[in-house]
Amino acid sequence: MRAGLATLTLLLLGVTPACPQAGVSPFDMSTERPATAAPVAPPQQNSATPAQAASDAGKAARQAQSPARRYLVPFSELVLSGEYSRRAWSVFLTPEQAAAATDLHLGYQNAVVVAPEASRLELSVNGSSVIGIPIASSDRASEISVRIPAGVLHAGLNDIVMSAIQRHRTDCTIESTYELWTQIDPSRTFFTFEGNQAGLWKRVEDLRAIGVDETGETKFNLIVPSMGQAASTAPVVRLGEALALMANMPNQAFEVSETGSKAAGPGMANIVVAPAADLSKVLASVPANADAGPIATLIDDPTLGPSTLLVSGPNWQAVNLAIDDIAKQVDRPAGSLRTSLATRTWRTPDVPMLLDANTLKFSGLGVNTLEFSGRRVRTDFAVGVPSDFYAEAYGHATILLDAAYSQDVLPGSHIDVYVNDNIAATVPITTAGGEILRHLPIKVTMRHFRPGDNTIAIEAVLLTRADTVCAPGAASSDSKRFALFDSSEFVMPDFARIARTPDLGAISGTGFPYGRAQYALPLIMDRAQPEIVSAGVTLMARMSVAAGRLIAVDSSTAASAVADRNALFISAISQVPPAVLAQVGISSDSSSTWGETVSSIRPDTETTFDEWRQQLRGSGWRGQISSFEDWMRQTFNISASSLRVFPEPVALYKPQGNASLVVAQEASPTEGGTWTVITAPNASALLDGARALTAQETWRQLGGHVTTVETGGDKVQTVPVTRFDFVETQPFSLANYRLVVANWLSANALSYAVVLTLFSILLGLATAGLLGSLGRRK
Amino acid sequence: MRKLLIVVQWALASVCVITLVTLPISLETQLVAGMCVLVAMMLLKLVRPDGIWRLVALAFGTAIVMRYVYWRTTSTLPPFNQLENFIPGFMLYLAEMYSVMMLALSLFVVALPLPSRPSRANSNDRMPTVDVFIPTYNEDPELLANTMAAARGMDYPAGKVTVWLLDDGGTLQKRNSDKIVDANNAERRHAQLQKLCADLGVNYLTRDRNEHAKAGNLNNGLSRSGGELVAVFDADHAPARDFLRETVGYFDEDPRLFLVQTPHFFLNPDPVERNLRTFEKMPSENEMFYGIIQRGLDKWNASFFCGSAAVLRRSALVETNGFSGVSITEDCETAIELHARGWHSVYVDKPLIAGLQPATFASFIGQRSRWAQGMMQILRFRFPPLKRGLSVPQRLCYMSSTLFWLFPFPRAIFLVAPLFYLFFDLQIFTASGGEFMAYTLTYMIVNLMMQNYLYGAFRWPWVSELYEYVQTVHLLPAVISVILNPRKPTFKVTAKDESIATSRLSEIARPFFVIFGILLLGVAMTVYKVYAEPFKADVTLVVGGWNLLNLIMAGCALGVVSERGERAATRRVKVHRRCDFEINGKWHQGTIEDVSAHGARTTVLGVQLEDLAKDARAGIRFKLFADGTEAVLPVTIRNFERTSDGIAVGCLYQASEAVHHRLVADLIFANSKQWEQFQLSRRGNPGLLRGTAWFLRMAIFQTYRGLVYFWRDMRGRTSMTAAQLAEKRQ
Repeated sequence: MRAGLATLTLLLLGVTPACPQAGVSPFDMSTERPATAAPVAPPQQNSATPAQAASDAGKAARQAQSPARRYLVPFSELVLSGEYSRRAWSVFLTPEQAAAATDLHLGYQNAVVVAPEASRLELSVNGSSVIGIPIASSDRASEISVRIPAGVLHAGLNDIVMSAIQRHRTDCTIESTYELWTQIDPSRTFFTFEGNQAGLWKRVEDLRAIGVDETGETKFNLIVPSMGQAASTAPVVRLGEALALMANMPNQAFEVSETGSKAAGPGMANIVVAPAADLSKVLASVPANADAGPIATLIDDPTLGPSTLLVSGPNWQAVNLAIDDIAKQVDRPAGSLRTSLATRTWRTPDVPMLLDANTLKFSGLGVNTLEFSGRRVRTDFAVGVPSDFYAEAYGHATILLDAAYSQDVLPGSHIDVYVNDNIAATVPITTAGGEILRHLPIKVTMRHFRPGDNTIAIEAVLLTRADTVCAPGAASSDSKRFALFDSSEFVMPDFARIARTPDLGAISGTGFPYGRAQYALPLIMDRAQPEIVSAGVTLMARMSVAAGRLIAVDSSTAASAVADRNALFISAISQVPPAVLAQVGISSDSSSTWGETVSSIRPDTETTFDEWRQQLRGSGWRGQISSFEDWMRQTFNISASSLRVFPEPVALYKPQGNASLVVAQEASPTEGGTWTVITAPNASALLDGARALTAQETWRQLGGHVTTVETGGDKVQTVPVTRFDFVETQPFSLANYRLVVANWLSANALSYAVVLTLFSILLGLATAGLLGSLGRRK
Repeated sequence: MRKLLIVVQWALASVCVITLVTLPISLETQLVAGMCVLVAMMLLKLVRPDGIWRLVALAFGTAIVMRYVYWRTTSTLPPFNQLENFIPGFMLYLAEMYSVMMLALSLFVVALPLPSRPSRANSNDRMPTVDVFIPTYNEDPELLANTMAAARGMDYPAGKVTVWLLDDGGTLQKRNSDKIVDANNAERRHAQLQKLCADLGVNYLTRDRNEHAKAGNLNNGLSRSGGELVAVFDADHAPARDFLRETVGYFDEDPRLFLVQTPHFFLNPDPVERNLRTFEKMPSENEMFYGIIQRGLDKWNASFFCGSAAVLRRSALVETNGFSGVSITEDCETAIELHARGWHSVYVDKPLIAGLQPATFASFIGQRSRWAQGMMQILRFRFPPLKRGLSVPQRLCYMSSTLFWLFPFPRAIFLVAPLFYLFFDLQIFTASGGEFMAYTLTYMIVNLMMQNYLYGAFRWPWVSELYEYVQTVHLLPAVISVILNPRKPTFKVTAKDESIATSRLSEIARPFFVIFGILLLGVAMTVYKVYAEPFKADVTLVVGGWNLLNLIMAGCALGVVSERGERAATRRVKVHRRCDFEINGKWHQGTIEDVSAHGARTTVLGVQLEDLAKDARAGIRFKLFADGTEAVLPVTIRNFERTSDGIAVGCLYQASEAVHHRLVADLIFANSKQWEQFQLSRRGNPGLLRGTAWFLRMAIFQTYRGLVYFWRDMRGRTSMTAAQLAEKRQ
């Protein structure tokens, strides 16, 4: 414990100076072998404190002073809430990191109401418990540091599981469980590796260990000295995609610049990409073999620091070959079926991809058997569906639940299922006296399924007599009330598969349709502005991760030459051709007005009206009628749009003043292509917007026909698709078409009624004819 | 070729509808579609409920029913591993599927019933020789006298018709019975009937042994006679004058015709009608069968023999060695055999006989038990769906007729299913309140509307359900027993001439009160559950509503088993015939206004009130339809009153000679038109809403009446035991 505290203080000392210093000194590591240049490598950089550099030079003991640091939390924030919470993800370590003696640091703070004697925070690495402590840090953040036993870590992905069991100090109500939280501080939660080797990358694959910075982000600095050349764009995008797939972190940003900055730190990498001739502009020394042929290697450059990735060759063709070498490791052939979505760096296990009917055991989905003694327990898993998933209107998945509840649990308790945080099913517990549920089928509506990964949460809300009484200490009682068994299953039925245009959700989920095209995707953007190129690479990289493979781009096509191909337009709005804007449904006069309009200060009439209606709801008999309407809507999801026979006309979208980025999609003017426009009032807004959009939480909200990201990056709005074209993705089969028709008719209820009526009349007439010719007649 | 095209067309349309119906669409779409179809059906009903539009409306209904079946099958069965839910749940499912199958079969049968055939009374048909068989077992000579007289009075050349009374009550076996009282009775009956037959010009025939019940008796008649055609009348079924004229002509038109069946028309109400007082205003229960189902069967050449009121061809019967007697419903069985041998049948939709129905609830149940058991035996021994020689439509028709009698099973299941949930918390139907509304409720309404489309004027809403329920309670054991021992049931003659002197509970009423009590507890449980377990109130309300429906039905049934005491049980038929009325030796002019099997009401002119006295003897003279001669029918006066036209006199027949019976028969049975008019007068479709409201009102009143009878009965019993105790003490 004392040792731990010592490390902690050192660490604190170390952290603070790191930032100002990082950019300042060109380290004089040239005297040493590049590989030993400890401080600079991105994952470990804040070890590059002045103190450490000095000690290195003096060949001083390289113990605790110079630990390379690896932040663990791949999210901007991590809150474990409720009575039970569990998060699991994996961290990639290089062989050197795995071999080094490692300390784990954890910083957290919890809500005042969490009862320390009954609450525990646990962290395990690769299955061995590393931290298990009472949660008792409500007045200020606590930090813990422990030495990870040798042999626990290994090169490659290491599983981390963090879980919290929390109990309320005084209250036993369901509501009280929402007051329980423990916040993990990402900036104080990390590994430190002893030894100056641990922070360095030696192989290209080591870039997978890039990790995150203290805010959970990952940043690649692409340094392209010859950025102005037309030939540079496609290779840079391709390299960005390859790196994104390799690191596969949830929030990855790319910065493309001619010279690069010297900024370095955990979660950051410098990559130089250029033909050998241009290297001297940015590198202090150009490796000799760059002229000879394609190379992709890690160098220690005095200017850019150690562990800089150099991708080069005599000319752009050679550079391309070098990039291909990297890409080969991560690309997926076009024809191969995707069996899972790679999510391990932020959620383990990898999310299985469901392409057709399938049954998955909970144990395989990362849900373990769970026994629970509190009031409200929630656990979740994720499944992926393809971009041509078309069953949200009619479909039901089934959970075959194996669970048990004790005799303490009262009727009125319930088990709820949430899909992407929308309630999808409720199973009331109606019998007292306890019960073992064996493969109880729960129909889960697929209304909230989206292409890509979907989180399905199961929450049990348990009422007991003891909780009603709530005797002192009752909240912490540990008599088991509920158990969920990992033999439960998730059953996906056969579902309709056909893609639609437009559907931004498909891009978000699996990069569709760009991930599938047979040709290089025309990418129309202004190469002259580094912000726009950065935004382009960031977006393409994000799309590649979603698609699980590299997307080849063609940056030389002019907007007018796209014709019926897919295309991606990334530009400030003033530079998007008006015809393209009109095609994707953005009002063409927005190019002049957007960005200047100040958000209106007039009160929003509609919102105010709604508020009033909300307030007066349920009072009097008129209120009863409107609550009947509500009930109809809730129970049957009947809305005016489902009663349409013909789709309503699409109104041109006009960006509002506070939307900083607009993504809009439509089919190309002639059949066949899908055009997506990503635009903002100006280049820097576009880059900010692209970064905000590609962040994990925002990206998964991308959907509909138009998506806007508001300033600040956390408010996303979508304009739903009203009129769309089908795009066939599957070989013709009657069974699939039947389901497609079922889904379309489910979304267009009145159409079904009309068709049914017509067919019935037809049958009636046919029957009349039949009866007229069969049997006796008059 | 054209036929094939039409069939292909129909198959295509069906495939389209089935494809559409089996799409796994969402709940909202189902709700919208259901509502649209309901509205369409209602509109069609208002605008054009007949012809092609009737078929279109039925197609609408079929689509919704099929959607229900699809959903019910794919989404609502409890999981197999919860056996306590699955077993009752699956039984309920089977019961529902049985109902749907019966609906489909009846749709087929009555999709397009043949219109009534034109009257043949005035056509110049050949008059083949006819033997008229009147089998009897234990009926009163008086009743037989009327029937025989009516048979003799039929309009047919005298030499060509022979009437036979086939007496199974006076066989040698009976007369030599070891029980001396029985033997004496049989002997007396034998002599009495022989005399009556001689008087009426009827051949009396009996046999040595009572083998094969009614079928054996008829076969005995067949072997002793030689007419080309055979007409069969039950002992209480008196034919109208034009019976043979309306029927025999068909046999010359089609040489392969074996049967001309006519409807059974009843002069008295059945116990349900009598106790609910619906006889005068609502179509009788059997009118649905004779008014529409037989016509539907006729379209498919599957109209079958109903034991009486029919003419058969002897040469056809010879092929099967007479009437078949394996089952206790020899009539239907014979028809299946002959249909399977390629013979044809015809149904004439015109009441040409008038008969009596069982008067008490117990004998009503007895009659239905025989039918149900007989049909089960046919199902067991002749299995119509796989019977060789039958055409496909005939197989379907016979399936419909025989499988119908399995109804006690689904009825019983529908009755107890809600109780599983209310009392034992079993989840035997997994659906949410919303699904129940979108699927089940729509289905139920559509089902009722389809019934209304099919049978509207012949069967009012909920009446089928009531009849099925009141029979189920006692038929269920009967059907189970025949399934277990198919050869055990024996032919029992239904008593039809009982009367009920005082109001009382039927002797087999007890189970109805028990069921009513349990269902009432179910309602109490519903209320309790709604308040105690609000989290599942929606399901509780749905199930409770279902239970309430059962309770209403059970309450109405309490009225059915509470027998009203009534004097004149038989229906009076309006006749309007000129007559002369004799009182104290003086003749007065008069009109016979209406007649029943026992008496008549006449309006007499020029007579003084003081001339009349109760129980005074009098006479009515009128001209017979049969031969135009006049004769006097002796009567006694029961009552009299002054009306605006004269004095209305109610009298009772005092038939002492054969000729008197001819007069009575001529009065009541001569004119079949009057029966038709009476039937038409109560036909009329009240519609689903009005019909439901009417039923509800009646059910509430009958529940009340039933409970009053029950209370009286209990009180009567306790006072009786008290009296017995007092007697003992003394």
